[in-house]
Amino acid sequence: MARATIDPVTLEILGNRLLSVAEEVGETLVKTAFSTNIKERRDCSSAVFDRHGNMIAQAEHIPMHLGSMLGCVQAVLERVGAAELRRGDVYVTNDPYSGGGTHLPDITMVSPAFADGELVGFVANIAHHADVGGKVPGSTSGDASSIFQEGVRIPISRLQDGGRLRADVMDFIRVNSRTPLERDGDLNAQLAANAVGVRRLEEVVARYGVARFAEVSAALLDYAETLMRAGIARLPDGRSSFTDHMDDDGITLGVPLPIRVTVIVEGDVATVDLTGSSPQVRGPINVPLNGTLATIFYCFKALVGPDIPSNSGIYRALQVHAPEGTILNCVQPAAVGERIDTCQRLADAIFGAMSAIVPDRVLAASNSSVTTATFSGRHHETGEVFVYLETIAGGSGAHASGDGLSGVQVHMTNTSNLPVEALEREYPIVVTRYRFRQDSGGAGEFRGGLGIEREFEALQDGIAFSGLGDRQTTPPWGLLGGEAGATGAFELRRSSGGAERLGSKVSDVTLTAGDRVAVLTPGAGGFGNPRARSPERVQRDIDDRRVSARAAADAYGVALVPGATSIDESLTQRLRAGTPDDDGE
Amino acid sequence: MRYMLGVDVGGTFTDLTLTDSRARSLHVHKVRSTPDDPSRAIMTGISELLGRLELDPGALGYFGHGTTVATNALIERRGAVTALVTTDGFGDLLEIGTQTRPSLYDLKRAKPEPLVRAGMRFELRERVLHDGSVRTALCAEDVDRLAAELAELGVESVAVCLLSSYANPAHEELVASILRRALPGSFVTHSAALVPEFREFPRLSTTVLNAYLGPLMSRYLTNLAAAVSHLGIRAEPYVTQSNGGILSVAETVAAPVRTAVSGPSAGVVAATYLASRTTGGNLITFDMGGTSADISLVEDGTPLVSSERKVEGWPVRIPMLDIVTIGAGGGSIAGIDAGGALKVGPRSAGAAPGPAAYGTGGTEPTVTDANLVLGRLNPDGILGGAMPLDVAAATRAIDERIASRSSLSVDDAAAGIIAVVNAAMVRAIRSVSVARGFDPRDFALVAFGGAGALHAVELARELAIPRVLVPRAAGTFCSLGLLVANIRSDHVESHLVRPHTEGLEPVWAAFERLEARGREVLRAERVPEQRRSVELAIDARYVRQNYELPIMLAPEEIRQVDADTLCQRFHDAHAAKYGYARPEFEVEFVNMRLTAVGELPKPELPELPGRDGAELRPRSRRPVRFGTSWSTTPVFVGDDLRAGDAIAGPAVVERLDTTILLPPGDRAVVDAVGSLVITLSGAGQAARHG
Repeated sequence: MARATIDPVTLEILGNRLLSVAEEVGETLVKTAFSTNIKERRDCSSAVFDRHGNMIAQAEHIPMHLGSMLGCVQAVLERVGAAELRRGDVYVTNDPYSGGGTHLPDITMVSPAFADGELVGFVANIAHHADVGGKVPGSTSGDASSIFQEGVRIPISRLQDGGRLRADVMDFIRVNSRTPLERDGDLNAQLAANAVGVRRLEEVVARYGVARFAEVSAALLDYAETLMRAGIARLPDGRSSFTDHMDDDGITLGVPLPIRVTVIVEGDVATVDLTGSSPQVRGPINVPLNGTLATIFYCFKALVGPDIPSNSGIYRALQVHAPEGTILNCVQPAAVGERIDTCQRLADAIFGAMSAIVPDRVLAASNSSVTTATFSGRHHETGEVFVYLETIAGGSGAHASGDGLSGVQVHMTNTSNLPVEALEREYPIVVTRYRFRQDSGGAGEFRGGLGIEREFEALQDGIAFSGLGDRQTTPPWGLLGGEAGATGAFELRRSSGGAERLGSKVSDVTLTAGDRVAVLTPGAGGFGNPRARSPERVQRDIDDRRVSARAAADAYGVALVPGATSIDESLTQRLRAGTPDDDGE
Repeated sequence: MRYMLGVDVGGTFTDLTLTDSRARSLHVHKVRSTPDDPSRAIMTGISELLGRLELDPGALGYFGHGTTVATNALIERRGAVTALVTTDGFGDLLEIGTQTRPSLYDLKRAKPEPLVRAGMRFELRERVLHDGSVRTALCAEDVDRLAAELAELGVESVAVCLLSSYANPAHEELVASILRRALPGSFVTHSAALVPEFREFPRLSTTVLNAYLGPLMSRYLTNLAAAVSHLGIRAEPYVTQSNGGILSVAETVAAPVRTAVSGPSAGVVAATYLASRTTGGNLITFDMGGTSADISLVEDGTPLVSSERKVEGWPVRIPMLDIVTIGAGGGSIAGIDAGGALKVGPRSAGAAPGPAAYGTGGTEPTVTDANLVLGRLNPDGILGGAMPLDVAAATRAIDERIASRSSLSVDDAAAGIIAVVNAAMVRAIRSVSVARGFDPRDFALVAFGGAGALHAVELARELAIPRVLVPRAAGTFCSLGLLVANIRSDHVESHLVRPHTEGLEPVWAAFERLEARGREVLRAERVPEQRRSVELAIDARYVRQNYELPIMLAPEEIRQVDADTLCQRFHDAHAAKYGYARPEFEVEFVNMRLTAVGELPKPELPELPGRDGAELRPRSRRPVRFGTSWSTTPVFVGDDLRAGDAIAGPAVVERLDTTILLPPGDRAVVDAVGSLVITLSGAGQAARHG
């Protein structure tokens, strides 16, 4: 094994140096990008690869992006071939079916690095572009039924040829976007970021020499694999299955779609079998295999070693079986725009399966939907067309040692919100409420995190609202006696009076001035028997308006003295005694 | 002003520095801190130091104070019982924040507990829009009712933060004035008075921190001022701020959040002052102590400032020196992980159990143990022998925890620990320099703190930094910073202005208001007219962008420059920072900023006499490992050094509070004030990055 010749110091220092390269690529990208989405929300990622296309270092940004990272360099090597690569080349792609991507807005750039005329590795970065064409502004449409409706597909293309920018390729991408100037700025930032990365990677290789660098980077893969295997080996062996559901695919409404996971832990290997999950669907929630792999990678890193470096070595300890043509390994032309919701559900289901093996390490179900609200129209004052897109966070699941977090992005994403005061300056919209939803966290010894209610009011007529969400009919389940959290909803509250519940994937609802849209995001599941929660903690939740007095009595068996805020101890005892402790899930 | 005193209170020690400008002498004193009541140690220290010098307290012309009271109160959650008042529907914003979770992969990592619980957060029916118009009027009776409720709850402090108050503070001001009247003795702070900038969460978070710290800091500083005065010191205390400046007690107490991370800023200020006379204004400061290292960058004599920093997880939207802290210090623990890599930190042995070599119970190897095993630290002990070191214990720790668990010898393992911790620090230095568009080759590294000078030259070599500066009193360097700071008071207004369509009148009007406020502070601080100045900046961006860049303008340019000139400055700044500009895009201005500066007299640093007679000789020699080989290395003692002395590496220089490592080939020269200026071998030639 190559490892034998690599000492612990070299291993650590090269890992550190490569991470530094990946981070500098990411910093440069954020620094030079034009759009808010990349610059402020940091919806981008960067990584370094060996010459075989294995990822050897990734800067920590968005876990979902790992999917495209895993596929892109392999795809370049397969389509172009190592022999054709030249110094100063940059390849660009966003295509899930030929370029290793996971959905079209994520544009990846790959640059080979050389030393002594020899290919030594690659640098890649991914940026989420706000618009790449397709049937709706923002490109991701809740009712897209084929990838051809979701924007321009860029097969692996040479954007830079031996250091020379190919204006034709650049123009091809730009003209396919509704916001070409912004694309131009962001694509140039991606080019600049990779240029920095290639230079830095070549410097690192020069310090070690080509052969030694290859040995040490192979050892880095072994290192992550060893850590992952050691982590899995510490888990008890076992086999467990779990099924969660997507609400529906947004086109065939009301038909829940199973996400089925079987996990087998055996020695130092974990196998994830996704057989039994839904066949691929018409709506845009299909996941290309790389997205599924990224999700499994995320879950196992979180389960066994949050500090294990993110590199391809982790996969060697994981075996994945995802039947082709299913929602978790779709084939073209399946629509994939909103694949992340399905990945979120897959993460919950993996933790659900693992709960039978290591209950103390997992989370109960989280809000696990990237609930998205989009408002568009023509601003009456400025005459400009606007598209305002917001993702609203929800609860994260409780666990064996604590409550879930309220109002957070979970699992595969972690982007920030746009400040209310920033959006109100730009768009004819006011936010009238932004707060936690009382009682939306599943009851439990440890309570699930709360969802959010965010209410928008239209200040003018003719604003179109579109919503994309899930877990609006399938609640976030609890574990070990913990109860489910609340489901989410989109609600239309007309100025003329009356409220109407909209679907979980709804397009182009026209608002008139004074109409309000309330986005209610899902909470999360609780962990353990609610009646084991100390009355003091329940009372604290009541004081903090997280739990209502009624829910405290019903779910937790904790009663307050009427008219006061202190616990009625005798009634609480009776409530807790009168209800069987094992009333189950 | 002949005598100036600086008192810097740290977690373990309270450092005092007294300068005598006439005699050009500098005296330092150290006492153990008294965290339960920091002023006790201060008073003891002052009495002892003045007694030693037989100096009348009344003779002190200046008293500068650095304190971590605010920082510690945040860490230990000892702030006031605080209530928060927000716009109806937004009471949970403090907890929602940016909706991000604190760790990507650690499923159980909790968010920081809010400083104000939901039960203490109150909503008022009212709403102001971004243009300052009132959509829902505030009802004064609602506020009266709230005031009565707060009085009953016995709150000590109230933060008021209403939406869009940056555009129209009338509602906030009304709430604050009613609450102040109804709650005498409470600390009431409202966001528009503190940070009138758009983006509600950072403004809210800053306001809440201010309220949380207010009562505690008022009590502490008022008591301190009284105690100082009781000692017979007539100089009014000045307090270090996170922006590197200082302010009077009265001004500090109004907005104590400005001291929240003031601790490390004094070192940066001291480094800037010291280096201005030797290596020039381009510096990277490197302060390495027992548990962490603080790194910052100074460009052309001006430390980089950021308004985007977080304190204990909470955004604080006020200008603070941009200091990056990493968990790498002398006490950082090393070990082999399950995958066979050598890891150092962030876990630290701290003061207890301490490094294995301290013999105080530590069994895990630390960076200090590695430095000892490699001969870099004196095997007979540090602090002039006051702190004995146990080489055998250090060797044993490295052997048991690292060498015997890998293919490394003890020596190689020790060298590995240093290499790994240096790699982490190189990464951090790159993040403040290269990642922000600065080339380290244009900078000098200023190393201080107990451990800084042991690592500095190797870091500089790795980063191709040509020169390293080690100040004379590297261990008490921060308290010098208290004597060389200026008064700095930051003010801001937020107005969205498109200069080409709306003209510059709103900008000029804002600057005039800001200048009046700034000058008011300087007047209150009794700064003489000729020592007052202001610095102006506009935060600008391209329309449709959502992040800003500051552009500078001179005070005399107010109403004198046109929109084109200012926008061109923005294009230039954008090109310099981000590598490109978009002159065809419309520019908009977002915030107008003004810093009022009051220049204070600076002490003359004592000069070190030159050498007459016998040349500098090493006191001893010992084997020290550099790279992969050992060489018998001369050891010099700090007290022997004279101005103009030159030392060629390899050498070790031992000072009371720090040890300086000079690798082979590098050269050190002692400057007039006793700093060591180290020039790296090969500096000036085209150095290779890596």
